[in-house]
Amino acid sequence: MSGLTTDLSVSVASLLASTQAMDVTTTNIANMNTPGYARRKVILEESTPTGNDEATTGVDVKAIRSLRDNVLELRINSAMSQQNLSSTVYNSLSAVELSFSDTASGSIGSTLDNFFSSLQALSVTPANTSLRSNVLTAASNLASAFRGTAAVISDSQHQLDRSVVQSTSDINSLLQQIAIANSAITSAQKLGQSSNSAEDQRSALLSQLSGTIDFRTVNSDDGLMLTTANGTALVVGSKAYSLTNSLNASGLNNVYSGGVDITGTIQGGSLGGYIQSRDQTLASMATQLDQFAFQFAQAVNNVQSSGSDINGTLGVALFNPPDTTAGSAAGAASSMKVALSGPSQIAAAALGGASGDNSNLAKLIDLQNQAIVNGSTPTTAYSDMTFSIGNTISQANTNATASENILLQLQNQQGSISGVSLDEESANLLLYQRSFQAAAKIITTIDTLMGNLLDMGVNNPGY
Amino acid sequence: MRVNPNYTANMVSLLNQSQQDETNALQALSTGRRVNKPSDDAAAEAAMVSENSRLAADDQYTANSESLKQILNTADSTLSSVVTILQRASTLAIEGANGTMNQTNLSSIAAEVSGINRQMLSLANTSYAGKYIFAGTATGSAPYIADVSVPGKIDYAGNDRQNSVQIGTGLTVSANLPGSSIFSQTSGNVFDALQSLFTALQSGDATAIEAAGTRISSAIDAINTSRVFYGNTVNELTSNETYLSQDKINIADYQNTLVSSDPAEATTAVTQAEYARNATVAAAAKMNQVSLLDYLK
Repeated sequence: MSGLTTDLSVSVASLLASTQAMDVTTTNIANMNTPGYARRKVILEESTPTGNDEATTGVDVKAIRSLRDNVLELRINSAMSQQNLSSTVYNSLSAVELSFSDTASGSIGSTLDNFFSSLQALSVTPANTSLRSNVLTAASNLASAFRGTAAVISDSQHQLDRSVVQSTSDINSLLQQIAIANSAITSAQKLGQSSNSAEDQRSALLSQLSGTIDFRTVNSDDGLMLTTANGTALVVGSKAYSLTNSLNASGLNNVYSGGVDITGTIQGGSLGGYIQSRDQTLASMATQLDQFAFQFAQAVNNVQSSGSDINGTLGVALFNPPDTTAGSAAGAASSMKVALSGPSQIAAAALGGASGDNSNLAKLIDLQNQAIVNGSTPTTAYSDMTFSIGNTISQANTNATASENILLQLQNQQGSISGVSLDEESANLLLYQRSFQAAAKIITTIDTLMGNLLDMGVNNPGY
Repeated sequence: MRVNPNYTANMVSLLNQSQQDETNALQALSTGRRVNKPSDDAAAEAAMVSENSRLAADDQYTANSESLKQILNTADSTLSSVVTILQRASTLAIEGANGTMNQTNLSSIAAEVSGINRQMLSLANTSYAGKYIFAGTATGSAPYIADVSVPGKIDYAGNDRQNSVQIGTGLTVSANLPGSSIFSQTSGNVFDALQSLFTALQSGDATAIEAAGTRISSAIDAINTSRVFYGNTVNELTSNETYLSQDKINIADYQNTLVSSDPAEATTAVTQAEYARNATVAAAAKMNQVSLLDYLK
């Protein structure tokens, strides 16, 4: 008699275990597309036998475990940071790149060629007014190409700057949510409850965060601790430490963490990409362009002021003296302008030469083959800039492709551990359905047996 | 070994890749260019900058050659007229010197010589596009003007400088010959010779007329010598233009190898990309059409 009731309670436990297992399967299927979700598995265990009855031990649900590989997730997050950095660099420079394309109309390259061609044309008949006007037009086109390219670079920098500010606020909101998930996990664990959901949530948040910025994680008693690459705290336990923005000397936003300027140490994620494009690639291009404009204008002006114009007057500067602070070329490209008021002011003749003399023009033409821009000829200097921007972008593209492949590989690996498989869940469902049915069958059997027992006295009064 | 049940990320990546390949192949075919922006091939685009600059320079050298040839031809044909009228003056000198003419006849010859002199002045002050071509580099004003203090004397107001014009990398030609090397050169000043003939004819001095005739002959020789400059320069320009047009073809060829796509190759690439894409899409559509769920009743 005690045997039957034990069987009954074991069967009920079995029903409950099967139900719980089916619950897990349902949850798995429901969340198969939820970001950050790791498939769960029910861990069954033989229950501790009561008394000495070895024949009947039931089943217990020991735990419901999320299948995730934390080390793999860290690797995925860092690959994601790298991938987002490269693809952000690739995308953010395309506008600037087009100004340097050989098919771009009004580029510095083509207007530079036109400027020298116009000087060449004038050298045949140096006193010809319409050819002189052509030189002024070509010079003004060249100046406007410099201004235009400088504007494209600076516009791109400011667009990236807005993205930096936007990213900072996105990061702050993620940090808040991670801190909340952190405290949910810690308190669940302290109460001995399951923290699976909160961990799934935090995993999804960390993956989002790694797309935006690179960070380090440290496990502590208070849950996961996040720091920047620089070591300043982002999340400690249930507290998030927000990043802040502050304008630097160039009028662009730097990123601060705990009062420390971390702008230069952000090496990953889209924020890292924005900063790298803004502060390295574009900033260095802007500097190169300014030096180009400054040194070129200076060289032309020097030759101009060593000759005589059509009226025999000493030549004056062809380009506006660059609007810069002493000793620096900054702003030269964006302020480049033709200073001459009329075509007669072009100093084609040598000093004191007649109006039809072209010897000073020859010196201007010679500038095309002289190392006047950072030790290179103007054409080579421009060609170098074209190479530099093209190479930066194509490298970013190569890196993006490579890190995307790595990321995909890692995600596959993660999927093979944590991904929900419908086939597998269906098979499990079948399995638990069968064990549920079997347990239920045992209960009805025991019910019948107990009924038989109870009926014994009624049907066999002699017993 | 458990496989990743979530195949969509792989599939999306493959689909993206095949679409990108197809777009690139189509772009190469439709633009005829393999390189459309610096990041497509940074080294090629950098080389394009200097090749474009060389091409622009060659274009300009060719244009310069053409305009120079026009100016030089104008000067040369002017000098051809100069020689013609000097020959007439020479003939007149021989006629005047043979001693059979009376003073009236000599005076009318003198009048013709005077006309030749005026014509000569006008030829020496020939201009091209408003600029005097025999003035050295002082092209803004007439190089030959009548001397107000000495009647019949013509003074040279130009200079004796020559412009040189670039017609190739490191290659220059002189663009002009100053009047001082043509009309008023020391070995035969045209105006002085004509003036001496005029004076000799007026005075009826046969010896002086003959001497003047000799001076005119040597002036003709001097001018013909000067004309060699124009012929030579025009020849040099013409042969240089031939070189330039060949150089431009070479540059264009090189630019083609730098950035152009081969049409046959591009067509094949499009076909291949299309094929790969079709295969990827077809495979993606077939994947996981069934699961165990379909068989559970």
